[in-house]
Amino acid sequence: MSISAAVLQVTSGDLTTYLYIAFFGLLFVVQFAFGTRLQSYFAINEISRGLNKLRVMKDKARKDAIDYLVNVGKAQADPTQRVDQFLDYVTIMPVDIDPSGLVGKIDHVVTTNNDRVRAEVGSLLNQNNPVTVSISENLLEVATSLNQIHKIVRHFYLLGKKTNSYFTLVQLQMLMPMIIQEADALLNATDSFRMGEPVGDGIGPVVVSRFMAGKEKRVIAKDTVMAITEYKGRKLYVLKADGPMAYVGQPGVAIQKIVSEMGVKPSAIVMIDAALKLEGEKTGEIAEGVGAAIGGIGVEKFQIEEAATKAKVPLYAILVKQSILEAITVMRKEIAEAADKVAEVLNRVIEEKTKEGDEVVVAGIGNTLGVAQ
Amino acid sequence: MMSSVPGADRKSKLLVYTIEECPVCGQKTKRAFTVGDYITKEASKCPKCSNTARVSLVYAESAKQSG
Repeated sequence: MSISAAVLQVTSGDLTTYLYIAFFGLLFVVQFAFGTRLQSYFAINEISRGLNKLRVMKDKARKDAIDYLVNVGKAQADPTQRVDQFLDYVTIMPVDIDPSGLVGKIDHVVTTNNDRVRAEVGSLLNQNNPVTVSISENLLEVATSLNQIHKIVRHFYLLGKKTNSYFTLVQLQMLMPMIIQEADALLNATDSFRMGEPVGDGIGPVVVSRFMAGKEKRVIAKDTVMAITEYKGRKLYVLKADGPMAYVGQPGVAIQKIVSEMGVKPSAIVMIDAALKLEGEKTGEIAEGVGAAIGGIGVEKFQIEEAATKAKVPLYAILVKQSILEAITVMRKEIAEAADKVAEVLNRVIEEKTKEGDEVVVAGIGNTLGVAQ
Repeated sequence: MMSSVPGADRKSKLLVYTIEECPVCGQKTKRAFTVGDYITKEASKCPKCSNTARVSLVYAESAKQSG
């Protein structure tokens, strides 16, 4: 090998090494200098796709509500404009810097809102079938929720883009799968509501309706009915929302009335409700516990806890596990078939925790669509 | 980069059924749900004892589950 050839070979080997070093060096610099920008770019793309899905979902829910009002509710005029106003209606929660009496204030605001919704729906429809009115209310609430979700996601997306805030965008990107899942559950709920099918959340009312069948019913609170029955020498005060309308009723007010106004001295209050399962838990699994088994904003829970504490009555809970999707869409077989087992558990709890001659309050908590009594 | 946004609807189709139960002999009949069905609603005559049956359950199962 000549000297010049050897020099050329060494130079060629070095050049490849230098190229490698330059390439990885450049990658490092790009990653270091533009890494967050690249990540932001991917996040923006993904959020944008999710946002498009949310837009389609909220438009479909709005259209479903309008179609139901026109086709089933026989709305007199085109309800589109009123529905659009309805979607943007806001409920301003009371100030909480002085928490004393806050629950009462929240109850007042929420009740005012519920009354307004029912009055508005009633004025839109050309009929007063309570099932149709209640379904219309629920459909409008679903459309409002989806509209709100879309607006909030869009707000943070645009804010993140505008301020070039990597952390805002990445947080939103991480939350997107859960947001889409929840929105999807809401959209699926519209199908069940339109058909008047019982939803998974109605398992509590399904169980107590068996105790109420054939008994005289009385309205004990707004949209809430109660019947008195007997089980192995115990007097049962059984209550649920008034079905088959899509109501949840006011079980808190009802229990307060039973305990304080009717002078009943219950030995136990047993509540049956649907509970959100954790991933890995089976749908339809039954869990027992103590405490007020009721969701929502907290007003009903507060009222029940207060009534039970004042009268020193133990609160027992029987829960049927299900996902958020299963809770607000048509009742799955596994949940419906849990009704027999829940009734057995209820009977056992009554037998174990009370004695003959005692009085017991049994409340079936949840949306009672498609479940009469 | 893999998308974390869930894809199109991949849920299996659900079929909704109404279960009618005779309060006297306990005979159960399963039929497709029709709009207007609700739990405790009076249903058709019991095929076994001719008493009026009632809707005892309404539920959905996947097409695969129901065979």
